[in-house]
Amino acid sequence: MNNNPDVIIIGAGVIGVSTAFALSTAGLKVLILDRGSVASGTTSAGEGNILVSDKEPSPELDLALRSRDAWFEINEEIGGGFELEAKGGVVVAQSDAGIDGLRRLTSAQRKSGIDAQDITGNDLHELEPHLSDSITVGAYYPQDAQCQPMIATARIMRAVKAHGGEFISGTTVTSILVHGDRVGGVETNKGRFSAPIVINAAGTGAGQIAELAGSYLPIAPRRGFILVSAPAPQLIFHKVYDADYVANVASSDETLQTSAVVEGTKSGTILIGASRERVGFNTEIDFSILRILARQAIELFPILAEIQLLRAYRGFRPYAPDHLPVIGEDPLIKGLWHNAGHEGAGIGLAPGSAQLLSDAILGKSSFMDATAFSPTRFSRAGAK
Amino acid sequence: MIISHQIIVIGGGPAGLNAAKYAANAGADVGLIDSGLRLGGQYWRHTGNAEVDESMHHNFDQGSLLMDAVNANPRIEVYLESQIWSASVINNMIILRTKDQTFQTQRLIIATGAYDRSLPFPGWDIPGVMTAGAAQALLKGNGVIAGQSVVVAGTGPFLLPVAAGISSHGGNVVGVLEAAKRLSWAPKISVLIQNPSKILEGIGYIKSLRKSKVEMRFGQAVVAAHADEDGLLESVTVANIDKDFHVKSTYLLKCDVAAISWGFTPDTSLAGSLGLKQGVRNDGSVIIEVDKDQRCTHSHSEVEIYAAGESTGVGGSDLALAEGAIAGLATAHSEKSSSQLRKLRHRAQKFADVLLQVYPVAAGWKSWLTPQTLICRCEEVTYQKVREACEELNARSARDVKFMTRCGMGMCQGRICTRNVSDLFDSEDHDRILATYRPIITPITLGELAQEGLL
Repeated sequence: MNNNPDVIIIGAGVIGVSTAFALSTAGLKVLILDRGSVASGTTSAGEGNILVSDKEPSPELDLALRSRDAWFEINEEIGGGFELEAKGGVVVAQSDAGIDGLRRLTSAQRKSGIDAQDITGNDLHELEPHLSDSITVGAYYPQDAQCQPMIATARIMRAVKAHGGEFISGTTVTSILVHGDRVGGVETNKGRFSAPIVINAAGTGAGQIAELAGSYLPIAPRRGFILVSAPAPQLIFHKVYDADYVANVASSDETLQTSAVVEGTKSGTILIGASRERVGFNTEIDFSILRILARQAIELFPILAEIQLLRAYRGFRPYAPDHLPVIGEDPLIKGLWHNAGHEGAGIGLAPGSAQLLSDAILGKSSFMDATAFSPTRFSRAGAK
Repeated sequence: MIISHQIIVIGGGPAGLNAAKYAANAGADVGLIDSGLRLGGQYWRHTGNAEVDESMHHNFDQGSLLMDAVNANPRIEVYLESQIWSASVINNMIILRTKDQTFQTQRLIIATGAYDRSLPFPGWDIPGVMTAGAAQALLKGNGVIAGQSVVVAGTGPFLLPVAAGISSHGGNVVGVLEAAKRLSWAPKISVLIQNPSKILEGIGYIKSLRKSKVEMRFGQAVVAAHADEDGLLESVTVANIDKDFHVKSTYLLKCDVAAISWGFTPDTSLAGSLGLKQGVRNDGSVIIEVDKDQRCTHSHSEVEIYAAGESTGVGGSDLALAEGAIAGLATAHSEKSSSQLRKLRHRAQKFADVLLQVYPVAAGWKSWLTPQTLICRCEEVTYQKVREACEELNARSARDVKFMTRCGMGMCQGRICTRNVSDLFDSEDHDRILATYRPIITPITLGELAQEGLL
């Protein structure tokens, strides 16, 4: 057992493990704790999106862009094996308003360094031959990528262990040890662990962890469903989604929002998302939502009507009121750092977020200014 | 259109048939849903040709009487070829969906039965290796003998009717290999004596096998299968095994079919979607937990859900019939006493418990695996891949392995491999139950899912 780690990381999802990778690469001794096993929470409930297409120009887009490149660097560094693929994204617009919005978005994104190509008609159908004939306007994003997030996280974990890091699964944090205004470690169902730095990467549980420390972080779950088809010959070649998706991601509406997100994977299955709703941790499958997702997907790709649905699953995105991740030191407790609230973009943003946090902890300058992600933005509103 | 019934029974095997009969006789309006072409389930699977069917079952009389009673009962509506692909509770109503129909009820009896349990071993994916249940289904449902020279192997009393059925219909059974020792019953003789019908049934099969000069060998198991040049089964490696299932010595046996049974796995598909409390039996099988009235535990206050038969723990047809009857009476809120049925159930349960003890599947089967042995046949995941996920990637459960290797993600949705993977990890109950959750019970097309009117 690691008696004196430099850092304790709560959460073995993609965010916690990526953070552990950055810190252990810098020479720190890390101890990762998770109430479940590696990648068993939100990380296992998504599609493995590494997207730049779905973000307006913003600090988040800058983070996404750096993160996307970092994924390919990590892939080299740890020997791959997690199905990382620059498959490219295709965003389509069906209504006049959608078309205008998409053109404005691509134009703005290009100024932020995104390769966003406006395409129409034949070019669009050459990229996606099975796309509905009625869809004639879209944008192509060659930088959009995807990976298999559970394997990615598990393989990065293996690299963390090779750096001397340690992981204990089945470990639930029951209290955060705080001396004065400084963190000293954690109490768990498996005993006490001490370290001068504790990182909260607990995903949808990040709010509870902050509360245990006597601080405040407004992270709530935003439920989503995904449909998975039986393996089929490749029909869909990119990540394809409706431009409404961008608006839905940014929306703060509590009620259900859906927009078709369709893609083929290396294993031959087709994944269909995406729904968003705030219903707490309600785990029941809502078949009316599955039906809407299927219908929207068939609108994009009529051929999908014949494809068999094999599985459906749901997950909970860790969501902050302003939809931005929380990366930085807690405003009240010194030594407690947060890396959470990445909503549906956690896979894509993980390596960049890990780098930002690691640089901040080590007092190094980083690739971008992290002020927009600072936990201090909530403290005035919600501190107890 | 939505079809409503006071009570809906899912499954037309012994438990479901009896549940429907008792509930209808108590005055309830009953819908009985089954995925098959005919009632009877796996146990009374039949061709519809009375003469053929009579010859395939030792107790077809009982079955056909029950099926006739159900078919003739005006209070029971039977829906055949109706496979439920999903279930949920919406607004205090249980919703069951088939491809063309939606059913709703406030009182449900789950009698979905069980399916064959397979253990992986080198070559178990070779055509010609099948479950004893599949060989039995070919014979009972189609009158077809599975092969020219058949090895029947595994453990449990089910081997006997399978071997006797094949040999009495002209098939050549080259060996019946029972993993348990010859006198494994001896310490439990008192329970056996309380079930004379079981003794008679067993003696009948053994006589039939003797007549066909079929040899029964004890303490033996098929631990590898070998293919010929065309990729078809040519022979199996048979091992003398100890009580832990470790191999002591082996010999080769020529055959073109190996029909293997390691018991059954309860079909609990509906339990996860309906939020029913599940448990894990000593043998590692996940079951739907029920109380003395066969009632399930769940959080939906306005609906009643019961389960009967193998889905609550494998125990054979006598137990299933008793449980079905009790569930039928309870669901119909009948005043009729069920004390006689409870006695029947108790005796059958004791017998079922003894079966589990006499015919255990010991953990030594894991030693039969080689790194190349497939664990998941649908996705072709080898034992080596599963071990790598465990040793290098921190996989701790069947769920972890599924995500990291695709083991259990194929067409059967892990119905075959998940229990074995959970055994490989000595999984905790919670993980075993979680790994059986499948909200899409059987595949449907996205077009069917997208249909209007689906609740």
